[in-house]
Amino acid sequence: MQASGKQERKLLQQHERERKYWKKWSVGWNVFSVVTLVVAYLENALLATRETVDNTYYHWFLIAYIAYLVIVYVVGQVTHGGVRSYSGHFAQLNSSIGILLIVQDLITEKFAIMELPFFVSFAQILQQIHEDAKLLWESTLSSLGLWAISFVVGTLIGVVLGLLMGRYRQFNYWAFPYLKVIGIIPAAAWMPLTMVIFPTSYLAEIFLIAFSVWFPVAFMTIGGVQGISKDYFESAKTLGFSEAQIVRKIVIPGALPSIFIGIFTAMGLSFTMLVISEMIGAKVGLGWYINWAKGVGNYTQVYAAIVIMALLFSIIFAIFSKVQARLLRWRENGN
Amino acid sequence: MSLLEVNNVNRVLTDNNGAQVNVLQNINFDVQQSEFVSLIGPSGCGKTTLLRLISGLDRPEGGTVKVKDELVTKPDASRGYVFQHGSLFPWETIRDNIAAGLRVTQGRHFDKQLVDRYIALMGLQGFESAFPHQVSGGMAQRAALARSIIMHPELLLLDEPMGALDAFTRADIQNVIYRVWQQTKTTMILVTHDIDEAVYLSQRIIVMTPRPGQIKQIVTNPLPYPRQRTSDDFLKFRQTIQDLLDFGSHDQLVTDSKEKAK
Ligand SMILES: Nc1ncnc2c1ncn2[C@@H]1O[C@H](COP(=O)(O)OP(=O)(O)O)[C@@H](O)[C@H]1O
Ligand SMILES: [Mg+2]
Repeated sequence: MQASGKQERKLLQQHERERKYWKKWSVGWNVFSVVTLVVAYLENALLATRETVDNTYYHWFLIAYIAYLVIVYVVGQVTHGGVRSYSGHFAQLNSSIGILLIVQDLITEKFAIMELPFFVSFAQILQQIHEDAKLLWESTLSSLGLWAISFVVGTLIGVVLGLLMGRYRQFNYWAFPYLKVIGIIPAAAWMPLTMVIFPTSYLAEIFLIAFSVWFPVAFMTIGGVQGISKDYFESAKTLGFSEAQIVRKIVIPGALPSIFIGIFTAMGLSFTMLVISEMIGAKVGLGWYINWAKGVGNYTQVYAAIVIMALLFSIIFAIFSKVQARLLRWRENGN
Repeated sequence: MSLLEVNNVNRVLTDNNGAQVNVLQNINFDVQQSEFVSLIGPSGCGKTTLLRLISGLDRPEGGTVKVKDELVTKPDASRGYVFQHGSLFPWETIRDNIAAGLRVTQGRHFDKQLVDRYIALMGLQGFESAFPHQVSGGMAQRAALARSIIMHPELLLLDEPMGALDAFTRADIQNVIYRVWQQTKTTMILVTHDIDEAVYLSQRIIVMTPRPGQIKQIVTNPLPYPRQRTSDDFLKFRQTIQDLLDFGSHDQLVTDSKEKAK
């Protein structure tokens, strides 16, 4: 019995993987993805450029990408685990990225069909990131810090209010109508007021971002709590749970799937609010950097900040998805 | 003194049309310490309603429910309740589910060996870290039983714990319950609409009639343990109960199949 339980779960894992990475392993696509990137490299290195650019960083980027593809291809070829499913599934996508890199390179720096200053090549963006590395790094850390504080504050307020409103009728009666009217206001509408009300612009920014977060979280939390089957509450009572234990062991885990939906909804809003509030009030951060770059007319810098944001927000999103999958692994269909 | 005394209990509920329905009327019976009693009757006759009153999950409109001479006013850990569909907490592993009551009453340093013993007793080794949706219905129901029994309740209320299971699993759980009762001498009240089950397990059988839910008769089971389901005495006593339930047998079949169709 012991073995069968473990074996069964291993099989389940493999099944889960096959559902997620459903595209079949194919030598052809894997080789093709490497070829597209090698072509992207050769094309960039051999064709003459019409614009001023230092392609070194782009070359390093392509070499790293090619090395990565070759490694996952070889590992996928000789093993039969997760890497094979993963690299097999994404081979076609990687090929498309290779082709897009070739196309963007040709229409910008090589033939200047789309010209500077409004359109730049990926190589130029990478060069800009390298040149501004220190400033961009500081801006990124500053944005990340502001976002993290605000998001935690907003989420905590949202979850606590949601749990109280979902669990206690009296609280719901008095709080919900007011909070509903307040929560529906777009956070950006408060901007002029926050600038004068809060003593520092940093506090104002925290308020704005947290404000965009708390409502979706609270709203989903209420629904989550109210959707918990009453069987669980009754079982808990017959097992001697106190009210505090019911909240900790039934209400919170039971509402967690909905809380996560709220958190993911809020995440997009919070990124928007982060950038907007930094553009208006701040002297640091990626939003400020973009605004400053626009002021001096350097659109390559704008692209550089956008690329970094895409990376940063994707990483945050991925981390939250992992945490969600871990905390909700008790559910029948994973995520 | 009896462990449980149910005196003149009435339960009045409002149905979907707003009409008042006497779901239970004048229910009177006692249960002795360590006794095994079954409540049997067709679907909808008020068995669950009665069991909930005994547990304290609901309060009666009239009459009293007393355990050890004390009025039952709210549920607590001394009266275990196993629901028809188990209602294990889906976010906890089988082990954590079984330990749930211990953890909240004894704190962090609850008796972990006791949990291991019950996992073994219920044949759940190898599935301790599985989540409820990953195990079969029979295993989930055994875990739900363990979760209540591990609390050593003075009264264990079982609401059709085998109702949703296939015949093999059903017999298996019946034997688990029998074994636990023999070993722990926990007082048990089993709700069922399966005559075999009631005759196989219980010392007394309370036969109920529907609309309004009333006790038709309380029958003492003369068969010695362990019981053979195919012995002549078993079949004869089974027939006695069958005859008692056969008032308007047609009605009963209709409600039963309707209930199943849901
Ligand atoms: N909350 C309720 N409100 C109104 N009627 C109810 C409620 N719960 C149960 N009933 C009715 O009471 C009767 C007895 O139900 P129940 O105790 O669940 O029966 P059993 O468990 O014997 O199948 C049924 O007719 C049912 O429709
Ligand atoms: Mg019932």
